[in-house]
Amino acid sequence: MNILSLTGIEFGKIRRSKILLILLTAAVILWIPSILNADLNFGMQAEGISPENNFLIQGFLGMAWFMYPASMVVSTVLLTQTERSNRGILKMLSLPVGTFKLCTAKFIVLLVLAASQILMITGIYFASAAIAGQIQQYDFMLPPLFVLKEAVYIYLSSIPMLAFFWMLSVCIKTPIFSVGIGLASIVPSVLIINTKAWWIYPMAYPFYVITTEYGKLASHLSTGEVALVPWIPLAIIFTCFCFMITCLSFGQHERR
Amino acid sequence: MNIIDTENLTKTYSGFTAVSDLNLHIPQGTVYGFLGPNGAGKSTTMKMFLGLTSPSSGKFHINGKRYPLNRVSILKEVGSFIESPAFYGNLTGEENLEIIRKILGLPKSSVAEALELVGLTKFKDRLAKKYSLGMKQRLGLASALIGHPPILILDEPTNGLDPVGIHEIRTLIRTLPEKYNCTVLVSSHLLSEIELMADNIGILNHGHLLFEGTLEELREHAAFLGYPTDNLEETFLAMIHDDNRQRSDVG
Amino acid sequence: MNIILECKKMRRTGFYPAFIAGGILASCLPVMNMAVRADTFKSLPQPPLTILLDANWTMMAMLNVLLIVSAACIMYHTEHDDNAIQKMQTLPLRESGIFFAKFVLMTCMSIVTLAIEALAFLFCSLQWFDKYDGLYPDLLKNFGYFLILTLPAVLLALAIASACNNMWISLGIGVICVFTASMIVSTDHFILQIFPFALPFRILAGAASLTIKKFLTTIISEVMVIGLAELIFLRIRKALV
Repeated sequence: MNILSLTGIEFGKIRRSKILLILLTAAVILWIPSILNADLNFGMQAEGISPENNFLIQGFLGMAWFMYPASMVVSTVLLTQTERSNRGILKMLSLPVGTFKLCTAKFIVLLVLAASQILMITGIYFASAAIAGQIQQYDFMLPPLFVLKEAVYIYLSSIPMLAFFWMLSVCIKTPIFSVGIGLASIVPSVLIINTKAWWIYPMAYPFYVITTEYGKLASHLSTGEVALVPWIPLAIIFTCFCFMITCLSFGQHERR
Repeated sequence: MNIIDTENLTKTYSGFTAVSDLNLHIPQGTVYGFLGPNGAGKSTTMKMFLGLTSPSSGKFHINGKRYPLNRVSILKEVGSFIESPAFYGNLTGEENLEIIRKILGLPKSSVAEALELVGLTKFKDRLAKKYSLGMKQRLGLASALIGHPPILILDEPTNGLDPVGIHEIRTLIRTLPEKYNCTVLVSSHLLSEIELMADNIGILNHGHLLFEGTLEELREHAAFLGYPTDNLEETFLAMIHDDNRQRSDVG
Repeated sequence: MNIILECKKMRRTGFYPAFIAGGILASCLPVMNMAVRADTFKSLPQPPLTILLDANWTMMAMLNVLLIVSAACIMYHTEHDDNAIQKMQTLPLRESGIFFAKFVLMTCMSIVTLAIEALAFLFCSLQWFDKYDGLYPDLLKNFGYFLILTLPAVLLALAIASACNNMWISLGIGVICVFTASMIVSTDHFILQIFPFALPFRILAGAASLTIKKFLTTIISEVMVIGLAELIFLRIRKALV
């Protein structure tokens, strides 16, 4: 059984879970205030950012700070609860599949869910930029390639965070703790991104990355910069560490 | 030739011994009835065979393979049904089996065949969480039988079925070794049920094996020890009762 | 009676430790903030408590609301997971009774969380600011206000959780609501301000007494409306199933 078809099976398991609907609702709600408050984008002279750039960045800031990480915590709940609610995990463990592969396949599902939400958010950005443009009689639309680049940037920087959430949900059996720690870990990102050592806190990566993009687009705003060292090595080590722990403890509880 | 052998298999949970020095010998191509009251350690033993729990001491081999060294290759040959059925409630019966089929790498037709075998074809498009207890049980059985594995481990497979269903499943289990040349390990707490299915039986109480052999041997053994022999259920109850008494005396 | 049963149902789910841990975690914010930036805060002209609340409450409230949402999910998850709710429905008691008992229990636990946070503020005031008269009554008034502001959120979180059989759906809706709340906290529209999940972010200090009265009456009506809506919902669901 190769990992690809196993991932396909894992996708089959989350049928009728309505997770895409939840992710989509979150994405829509993210942009509604941006459309309603589109006029605020014209008052950003102090920051020195153009209205169309501000429109995009404000939405992406909202996504990276809370909406996207929190949606991913919800997704990990889905992935673990589908296995536990009718003890499907027990059946899986008595089938000839390696637990390592099983765990990897599930993580891939999480990565795909994450990508799909970011894509939805990006897609809805274009729609809302068009709507806001109509209302304000101003062209808010940015080149798709630029928007996609920002989205991909956020996505890649969020992988360590996803590995951490996945580890929480697999290793902590009490749902209130895995969910609670996951959600609570998002909140301090606001503080962390203002420190020099932001790279020690993976939950802040996407938010930090988009904040620096904001700084680049706003000429009067000085934000931090993304120094690849020690960030990237640390992020890779952190991701691998979380992933290893997750694989090692996957199914252990059911095997007692 | 024995397809499953255990050597002093023991499982202890903090301070409590669920299975104690168990030596089982399950011949190939037979139905082996695993008998014991609730909490005797039947499920724990079966879980150990499936790698769902690790033995505290002792070992076992299944078809010449050992756990945990050959976990995946053991599981390839074993179809299992443990305790209450395990499934995905948000999927239909057919979709549940489809998952197992893909993992086992079986042909597409095997899903329909398994559904037919347990009489679930009519309900294959219903969500598993909406199934009645009996249907869930049948789904669990289908997920064990799918692809005709050479070894079947079934933990109280007739629980929750109606009399017709019980009869059907019993007949099915009885015919499996002949039809597919497989070995079945089936547990129950009713001797009357095991009597109708099994070639060999093992009686377990408080994690200890009280008896292992054919039904005929059980009769002889019981007569020798002075237990009633005209009704095997009574023989069984008397054996358990006696064993419990001895235990409490020792305790 | 019902409430004691609900307390028992929550054993070993991590429900109680979560509220205590949540309180302690949120309390770390003002303490750490003061420890790092004491001088900045001490130079501000406002009363100590106002300074502390202004600097920390938004994040603390966010943690509190997230705690409420996850706790509500767990409360109903224990009911739905092994079909316990079905058993409850066959017993001679009202499902709405279970709901309101859960509400009371969660309110009690919120008091615990808020009390821990109040202690943290007390500690910060005594440690870093000069003593001033009226600190204790101020603290009590503020946290009493917070508690009342929290009630609609608790009720709504429970109502959402009771409606969803799957935990990720109730959690998903809860998370979306919290996010919406975090976006409308700074708005001036009264209608948006009274969104149940946005209320716990409000601060007593600096608010006119008329505004406070307006909020209090709104909260009472919100509690009644959500409670009534839940009653109707439970009745309709029973009729449909």
